[in-house]
Amino acid sequence: MRRINSLYLRIGILKIVVGKPTKQPHTSLASLSFSTSGGYGGGGETQQNNNSSRVKIFDRDLKRRDRAAWLSRNKNDTFVDAVAENLLDRLEDCKKSFPSALCLGGSLGAVQRLLRGRGGIEKLIMMDTSHDMIKSCRDAQHDSVDKSIDTSYLVGDEEFLPIKESSVDLIISSLGLHWTNDLPGSMIQCKLALKPDGLFLAAILGGETLKFVRDAGNLLTRAGFSLPGVDVDEYVVKYKSALDLIEHLRAMGETNGLLQRNKASFLSFCRIFFSILNRETALATAAIYDSMFATEDGTIPATFQVIYMTGWREHSSQPQAKRRGSATVSFTDIQKQFGGQS
Amino acid sequence: MVRISRVMLKNAGHAIDKTLSEILVCPLSKQPLRVCEMPKALVSDTIGVSFPIKDGIPCLVPKDGKILEEVGDASKAS
Repeated sequence: MRRINSLYLRIGILKIVVGKPTKQPHTSLASLSFSTSGGYGGGGETQQNNNSSRVKIFDRDLKRRDRAAWLSRNKNDTFVDAVAENLLDRLEDCKKSFPSALCLGGSLGAVQRLLRGRGGIEKLIMMDTSHDMIKSCRDAQHDSVDKSIDTSYLVGDEEFLPIKESSVDLIISSLGLHWTNDLPGSMIQCKLALKPDGLFLAAILGGETLKFVRDAGNLLTRAGFSLPGVDVDEYVVKYKSALDLIEHLRAMGETNGLLQRNKASFLSFCRIFFSILNRETALATAAIYDSMFATEDGTIPATFQVIYMTGWREHSSQPQAKRRGSATVSFTDIQKQFGGQS
Repeated sequence: MVRISRVMLKNAGHAIDKTLSEILVCPLSKQPLRVCEMPKALVSDTIGVSFPIKDGIPCLVPKDGKILEEVGDASKAS
């Protein structure tokens, strides 16, 4: 267990003008995004090299153009909704439909609410470790919950996935997997539960250094996913006070029902903050935090880094990278053939 | 009211709905589960554990599993 004592904070560079003050503790959302994988682009084209094969399934260039429009549309959403929306948007980029989908805990309520028919999902299975959470999803009377989708509910653990192999077309997890103790194991089980050519789509809270993105890529590859893709978004959320931020983090943990399960995991992923278990400590550090980091308008900005991961269950239709050393043509030959310019 | 009756119809006579019955397996052994109607539970015969169905929702986390220790228990569960 790692005690987070560092005051990691990035003062928001990109601010969105807040229209009206709201009652919510976090009032505005700004997003910077950068994609470290070169693998996204327009549909259908293939890039092949010896180390990786990434087919451009998702049209990320289109997404970047739309991002400004998306931000202005969604500036009043909470952080959790913004992440779920980003994840679900990727289904539209994809030229495939997913008749059966498994939605794993985290902010699964937001995913269900914001789905809006994307991905061609006909059967939705909602799973969380908390019975209360699942019950509240089932009982929620949202107008936007699609009644034409056949929805099932179960209580289950990603680390002990009770889903038969090769049984679902899509697994989606928004801000849930970073709470597991065994992330590689959970991802392997997800891969196994997917049908061939099935899609794994996950958003997890990331760390402050870029190398974590490479770790995410490694995780995907080691779990056996094909065509892995990772990209990162940063969200600057402005809170009225540091205490509101702490309460938000607590709420995210408690809503998951996981604060009780594993305080160690919860803490280790609150890279933004220091000790929050003890209320006196929290108040004291919040006061210091307020005085150090408040911006001119008195709000506290905090940066959340979200890592988006995508991976596919292998299928013969997918392009495969050739084994290293199996090349039958050398670059010299190619150069000679095409009158090479160096 | 219509919503409630639709849920009841979907599960009419069954402890879990059709979708779940086709994809659920034991979280520990990954083997198929046997549906027990009374009391409502999902039984993993391979390892002798029974998982409850609370309020129509199957609870398949390992810690909710109950070990069926005696032959008596096993016959009660079927």
